[in-house]
Amino acid sequence: MTKSPNIILYLCLVYYLAAALVTPGFFTVNNTWNLLYNLMPLLIVAVGQMLVILTAGIDLSVTAIIAVTSVVGGYIMSADYSPVDSSSLAIALGILGMVITGGIIGLINGISVAKLKMPAFMVTLTGLMFFGGFAVWLTKSQNIYNLPAGLVDMPYTSFLGLPLPIWTGLLVLGLIYLVLNKSLLGEWIYAVGVNPKTSRISGVNVDLTIIMVYMLSGVTAAIGSVLYTARLETGSPVMGQNLLLDVIGAVVIGGTSLFGGKGLLQWTVAGAFFMAMLDNSLNLAGLSYFLIMIVKGVIILSAAMLNVWGERKVIWSA
Amino acid sequence: MAVNGGQVLALVGENGAGKSTLMNVLGGIHQPSSGEMHLNNEPYAPQNAEDAYNSGVAFIHQELNLFPNLSISENLFINSFPTTKRAGLTLIDRSSTNQKARELLTRVDLKVAPDTRVEDLSTAQQQLVEIAKAMAGKPRIIIFDEPTTALSRHESQALFQLIGDLRSQGIAMIYISHNLGDIMQLADNIAVLRDGTLVSAGPKDQYSMNRLIRDMVGRDLDSYFPARSKKASDQAVWEVRKLKSDRVTNISFKVNECEILGFYGLVGAGRSEMVRAILGLDPVLSGTVRWKDSTYHKFSPAQWIKNGVVYLAEDRREEGLLTGKSIQKNIQLASFPRYLNPLKLVKYAPLDQESKVYADITKINYQNLNRQQVQTLSGGNQQKVVLSRLLMTHPGMLILDEPTKGIDIGARQEIYGLINKLVDQGASAIIISSEIEELLGMCDRIIVMGQGQIYREFSKQEFDKNTILEAALGSGISNMDRGD
Amino acid sequence: MSNPVIFKRLRGQSIVILLALVILVFSLLSPGYFTTQNFLNILLQASGLTIVATGMTFVLLTAGIDLSVGSIMFVAGVISGKLVVGGLSVWLAVPVTLVLGIILGLMNGWFVVRFKIVPFIVTLATFFAGRGLGLLISETRAVNLPDEFLQIGSARILGIPLPVIIMIMVVAVAQLVLDRTVFGRQVYAVGNSQERSVKAGINLNRVLLRVYIICGCCAALGGLVAIAQLGAVSPTFGFQSEFMAIAAAVLGGTSLFGGKGRVFPGTLVGALLIQSIQSGLVIVNADPYLYPLITGTIIFLIVLVDSQRHYRRKQMKGIST
Repeated sequence: MTKSPNIILYLCLVYYLAAALVTPGFFTVNNTWNLLYNLMPLLIVAVGQMLVILTAGIDLSVTAIIAVTSVVGGYIMSADYSPVDSSSLAIALGILGMVITGGIIGLINGISVAKLKMPAFMVTLTGLMFFGGFAVWLTKSQNIYNLPAGLVDMPYTSFLGLPLPIWTGLLVLGLIYLVLNKSLLGEWIYAVGVNPKTSRISGVNVDLTIIMVYMLSGVTAAIGSVLYTARLETGSPVMGQNLLLDVIGAVVIGGTSLFGGKGLLQWTVAGAFFMAMLDNSLNLAGLSYFLIMIVKGVIILSAAMLNVWGERKVIWSA
Repeated sequence: MAVNGGQVLALVGENGAGKSTLMNVLGGIHQPSSGEMHLNNEPYAPQNAEDAYNSGVAFIHQELNLFPNLSISENLFINSFPTTKRAGLTLIDRSSTNQKARELLTRVDLKVAPDTRVEDLSTAQQQLVEIAKAMAGKPRIIIFDEPTTALSRHESQALFQLIGDLRSQGIAMIYISHNLGDIMQLADNIAVLRDGTLVSAGPKDQYSMNRLIRDMVGRDLDSYFPARSKKASDQAVWEVRKLKSDRVTNISFKVNECEILGFYGLVGAGRSEMVRAILGLDPVLSGTVRWKDSTYHKFSPAQWIKNGVVYLAEDRREEGLLTGKSIQKNIQLASFPRYLNPLKLVKYAPLDQESKVYADITKINYQNLNRQQVQTLSGGNQQKVVLSRLLMTHPGMLILDEPTKGIDIGARQEIYGLINKLVDQGASAIIISSEIEELLGMCDRIIVMGQGQIYREFSKQEFDKNTILEAALGSGISNMDRGD
Repeated sequence: MSNPVIFKRLRGQSIVILLALVILVFSLLSPGYFTTQNFLNILLQASGLTIVATGMTFVLLTAGIDLSVGSIMFVAGVISGKLVVGGLSVWLAVPVTLVLGIILGLMNGWFVVRFKIVPFIVTLATFFAGRGLGLLISETRAVNLPDEFLQIGSARILGIPLPVIIMIMVVAVAQLVLDRTVFGRQVYAVGNSQERSVKAGINLNRVLLRVYIICGCCAALGGLVAIAQLGAVSPTFGFQSEFMAIAAAVLGGTSLFGGKGRVFPGTLVGALLIQSIQSGLVIVNADPYLYPLITGTIIFLIVLVDSQRHYRRKQMKGIST
């Protein structure tokens, strides 16, 4: 594994400092919380996506999973629909339901790719259409309101000085770190991404590995959805609709190869941080929505150019 | 060093002897730091690959540079299609492309329609296309780099015949190979390189096999095939019964403890297909395998590894290595499940230690075990990495498909030694090889296969090169006399 | 197999069979489906997607990807609309828009070849920038198009709608280029292996640059053809079109890993397949909420059938060699 210092880490720092100097209101306590709130769900979804991309797959269905789980969670928890009276029980069941739903969709994706030998791109693209449509059909495009106070307050509830979303993010990161860098599954994920044939001959359970990464991607998308749902205080069938390319962009800009086998967790963290910071700082700068998109495009491209340039320098100096 | 038109100069030497460097200089990829070259009595100093090509120096590399998704003629003319103008568009002139392609194919004696897709050709035919491509540049020198690695014996002979034809057309050739038998058959002159210098050169008659090896290695190899201390027992530990798959039928054989069983046959005889079925890589229709005290009906590589049966695949790059990963990770790949703590996390400290032990046992020539990527090693060392991976699982049964393919003589001997040592310690082995000398030297028994079936079995006393070759060709001998 | 020759021929064309199957099912469900008028409608409605997917096929053949086509469609639509509203003749606005598509494609290609940035990132950036640009020009409002545009969309030559004629021409020229020009064959070589292409002396950068230019141009043209039927450019026009274009190409047999695929029949049939399903759902009066579910399911099943066939053939091929 090449552990060359990835330039995206430095890029994040430089951008952060620049934004702090140039953008009024960026380097404030308030905005830092804001940035972290925005970052957490994106980060959680992106690390799940990274696992899939490491096996040379792709999961385009994550935004649909976010939408479906948001709706499912909404139905379980909302006072308008919920069969459960106690709101804390409803929250627990709701979150459980969301995670299970995400896991099941991931399982379907994984089986289709691993066992049915279908191309990941098409499987998850039809998943995006189907489950995205499913969420809209379930709700007839209506948002689900009246979520329990416990969930709505969750982003602002602190435990040991840190708000719960940040704990959630750290927990997911920690677990994925263990999986990827310390566990059998992690070794298998990288091996399958590099060469599935060699892996299989060497006793790696390739199919199981592939199914697991899609399930983990589904579960992380569901956890991301919990945070989004809590933050927006609604179960929405179009939640996350515009997120897909942000998520994959965060992984790829972090340097993970779309051809599999190459990428580190900290790169994706940096990539997600970069994307979140970009949105946050451009918003603060008072740019309009469309200018934000243009500038975002330009900055992504510049970051990629610097990244390529940085990698080349590493090769030259080595 | 010189090579004349219409002659074949064989260039031999171990890995790292400087053959590839020399070839890169000839091909214009590297510049010489001193000295000069002459081509047809003119100074020759190529600055890049194109210079070399234009001067009439053509390469046939071990790895073919073809596009399997395109046709033969498209491969031949991908950058120089004959075109015609029609309605303002410059279109490929199909008929003249195919016509020119056919002429080239005739010169290399490949009787296939030029619009055949390259992926539908055999490796040998693909190599002929590569040679045809070289012929298009009207070369004066053709350099062959290990051209027979992917070919069967029969196909190699056809290639040699073509080289003979080219020789009579007045083309000079440089032929690089690890296969000394081929060299003795083919060369007019021989040059031996060692440690970057020319050790000896001269006409073939001056060389015997022994002198060749001595010049290459720098010492006498005491014995090419290391001796084994223990004799094979007569107790069968491995028994395949009536195995049938899409590609092989009625495969039954046994392997005893401390025994090496060889499989010989022509390409397509079904040897690799047989072991792939046993391994669970290809579907099995019926049949069982008994290994020690258990009988198996369903097979998978993971289950075999757990039970001490390991497999080395023929295609090292596609099925042996994790390219881009460290040597250490490559060695560890099959052993992770044995180094887990109760939380299913990998215990890296003992694992890393153990993998270093095995890297040293197999004498891998590495600089940095956990930083150096595996593809930076030479072919022989790469194979040792794969062997280390197998050995680290403490196998009782080794199934080796062409274990020394494309590997130089020194590393070969080391690999033979490793196999023998393991068998001396009580393991058994199955070796598939297209080199009959290798099987004769290593095995206790040899089974000859053809058309997906077992043709005949030879015990050590019956070993005779010609009879085994005849059996492989299927001439007259059926498998009737094999009693079960 | 009673008739192996026919079986073998059909095996390569399973996508055509699946298209026939979809048409058959909808024809049984609704008598209005199996009519010339409806088929013309399907062709008409598929024309935009087909043209975009044709350009996408070139990029996919080189193992690249272009996520920006939806944004290019959008920008093309907005700018041509604004130009015509501003008084420019349609016959000038169209070439200007196509040139714009070429420039955007050129930008994509230039970043890919000059800086060796993976196409995914380059076109992701132009995806954002392009949509932002379009929103900026349209001031995030729908652009209503003058009647000249709709007249193009509904014009007919010999009874065939103009957009369909444009589509047929694009597909025919594209397939001719892929089959019969040096560039076309080199596209397949590059898709098989960039490294080998360079070794074989192919001008890799020129080939890559051209496929992104073609893709950009096709995206702009496809966008124009689509809006000529719609009459307005909404702020979400072209949204997720990149995925539909990729889906059409892949359904038609183009590999995402490069070097394999055709525009005709492949991509054309893929696009028609998607449109046949959507038209069918309208005709049988399905619940509009169910459209994406049914479309997704049918495409999933098609990919499933296709990959099983492909998988089995790969195993069979192992046998024959």
